[in-house]
Amino acid sequence: MTSQAEAVAPRSSLPVAVSVQKVDMTFDGFQAVKGASFDLAEGRFLTILGPSGSGKTTLLRMIAGFQRPSAGEIFINGVPVSAAPPHKRSIGMVFQKLALFPHMTAAENVAFPLKMRRFDANTIPERVKRYLDLVQLGPYADRRIHQLSGGQQQRVAIARALVFEPDLLLLDEPLAALDRKLREEMQLEFRRIQRELGVTTINVTHDQREALVVSDEVIVMDKGVIQQNAAPAQTYRTPANAFVAGFIGVTNFLSGKVVAVEGANLTYEAAGEAMQGHWSAPGAPQLGATVTGALRAEQIRLAASVAELSACQTVKTGVVTDAIFEGERIVYEIALTGAPGTVLRAFDHDPVTHKQFAIGETMAMGWNARDVLTFPN
Amino acid sequence: MTQPLSKSIVIWAMVIVVLIVLSAPTIVVLGASLTSGNIITFPPDGLSLQWYAKIAMAADLRNAFLRSLAVASICTLIAIPVGTLAGIALSKYAVRFEHALQIYLLLPFTIPLIGSGIGLMLLFGEWGLLGQIWPIGVACCVINLPFMIWAVTASASSLDPDLELAAANCGAPPVATFFHVTLPAVLPGVISGSLLMFILALNEFLVSLLLTDARTVTLPVQIYNSIRSIITPDLAAISVVFIVCAALVIALLDRLVGLDIFLKSK
Repeated sequence: MTSQAEAVAPRSSLPVAVSVQKVDMTFDGFQAVKGASFDLAEGRFLTILGPSGSGKTTLLRMIAGFQRPSAGEIFINGVPVSAAPPHKRSIGMVFQKLALFPHMTAAENVAFPLKMRRFDANTIPERVKRYLDLVQLGPYADRRIHQLSGGQQQRVAIARALVFEPDLLLLDEPLAALDRKLREEMQLEFRRIQRELGVTTINVTHDQREALVVSDEVIVMDKGVIQQNAAPAQTYRTPANAFVAGFIGVTNFLSGKVVAVEGANLTYEAAGEAMQGHWSAPGAPQLGATVTGALRAEQIRLAASVAELSACQTVKTGVVTDAIFEGERIVYEIALTGAPGTVLRAFDHDPVTHKQFAIGETMAMGWNARDVLTFPN
Repeated sequence: MTQPLSKSIVIWAMVIVVLIVLSAPTIVVLGASLTSGNIITFPPDGLSLQWYAKIAMAADLRNAFLRSLAVASICTLIAIPVGTLAGIALSKYAVRFEHALQIYLLLPFTIPLIGSGIGLMLLFGEWGLLGQIWPIGVACCVINLPFMIWAVTASASSLDPDLELAAANCGAPPVATFFHVTLPAVLPGVISGSLLMFILALNEFLVSLLLTDARTVTLPVQIYNSIRSIITPDLAAISVVFIVCAALVIALLDRLVGLDIFLKSK
C-alpha cells in the first residue's frame, strides 16, 4: 500500500540523516529498549508512538546523548555518536516540561545555544530575532519566561531548539500538558515550521492522533520493541500486529480458533459464531490455531434490520448497551447476540439524519471479511 | 471572617503576647540606650544620644565591632563556595554515602557549642593559630555550615533536572552549564544562606569567647567582658547598632530574594 507521503518523497531518494542500529538499553536488569533499528531520511518527520513505559523516551534520550546505549550504535549523518557527549552533538530538543532557563528572557534563552556554540557575536541578535519571528514571538523578546503563557513558552522552546540550525530536532512530548485546542494548534505549528525549515525531526508521543496528523513516518513501540515503522496511513490501514491495531484507532477484538482457510481469507469461531477474516500477518494461518481479529469501529455498518445490510458479507445482531453522543458522531456499544460478554463498538457518523437507537434496542451490524484483520495470538 | 468572637479574642490575645515577648528585649535595649543618665535603666532617664557619641569615640568597642564584621565576612566567604557545592552535590547527584554525609553535616547541631568550642580551641592552640582573626571566621563557618547547605539544597532540589540536560543540548559543556544554568537557579538559596551565615557569625558568642583573646576580641565577647565589670548605657547603644546591622541584612535579603524564599528554604 503506497501512502500519500511516500508518493511525494520516496524514502530511498534522500540521504539517511539518522540511523539507529540494533540499540539496546538496560537499566538495572530491566530492558527498556530491545534491538531498536530504523533509518530516517533527511527532512522527514518521524513520530515514535507508544504507551508510557514503551521505551520511546529512552530511545529519544539516547539519540540526544543523555543516555548511552547498552548495545548497538546510533549514526547521525553517517557518523557514530554513542561516544559523543550531548553538547558535542548538533541536535535541538524541545523538552516535555520545556526546561527553559527561568532567569533569562525569551531572547536570552534563544541566544544561549548560539553563545555556547560560539556563533559570531555580531550575527546573534539578528538570528535570535529571525527565529523569534518564525515562532511569532517577536514582540515578546524581552519578557521573562514566567511572564509568558503556556503556548508562548512552547514557542520559545521551539526557537531555542532550532536557532542554531541543528542536524536534527527532537520533540519529547512537549504538547502533552497543553489543553486540547492549544495542542492541536501547536501540532500544526510544529508541522508548518518543520516543513518551512526542512529539519529532520523525531517526535515522541502517546497521542495517536498527533502521530497521524504531524508525521511522515510513524514508529509504534511497545515493551521496548519497535512494532511497526511505516507511513501514518499505512500504520492505520495495515497494522503489523494486534497491538498496533489496538493502539491506533477504536478497534474491536474477536479471538477464536481457525476452522477454515482459503488463501488469505479464513473462517474462525469466535464467541460461538463463525467469523470471516483476512490474514494480516506473515506466513499462512494454520487450522486450529488461535487467532485475533481486529475490526475498526468505523468499518461496522449499522441498521435497524438484517435485511438492510444485504451488501455486507457478515451480518450480526446485537442489543445496544450504551449510546454515547459525541456531537459529530454517536458511539454505540452493542452486545453481540448469542455471545454473552462480547461487546462491539461502532460509530454512527450522521447522527442528524440517521435513526438513533436507544439503550436496550436490537440492531443489525454488518461488515466485510477484509475489514477483519486477523493476527496470530 | 465569620469566626466566633471568643475565638478571635483568643487568637488576638496570643498574637499580642507573642509580639510583646519577641520585641520586648529590643525595645528595652533601645530605650536604655537613649538615656541621658549614667546608669542603664528602663524606662530611660531623659532622652539623649550621648551614649552613641561615646561608643563612636570608644576605640575598643569600635575595633571589636570591626573585628566581628571581619569574622562574619571570612565565615561567609568560605561558606559560599563550600556550602553551595556541597548543597548542589547532595541534592542533585547520587553521592556515595549520601545519608551518612547528611548526618555528618548535622553533627555541628548535635554537639553542644561549648563542646565544639573547646575542641576548636585545642586544635587551633595546637596549630598556633590563636590570636588571629581568620581562625574565628573558619570556626564560625564550621559550626554554622549546615544552615548554608540547607538553604542551597532547598533551592537545588526544586531545580528541574532537565534544565542541565537542556543546557548540554544547547551546546554548553559541563562547566558552562554550572555557571550559566545551575548556579543562577540556586542563587536565591545561596544568597539567603550566605546572609544567614553572616548574621550567625556576627552574633556568635560562645565559640568566639573560647577562641579570642585581648587582641582578637569580637563585639559580643567585648560586651560580655564589659558587663562583668560595670554596666553602662554604652553597652545598650552598641547593642542597638548590632540590632540595626542585623535588620539591614534582613532588609537586604528581602530586596534581593524576597523573605518568603528565605523562610521556605529553612
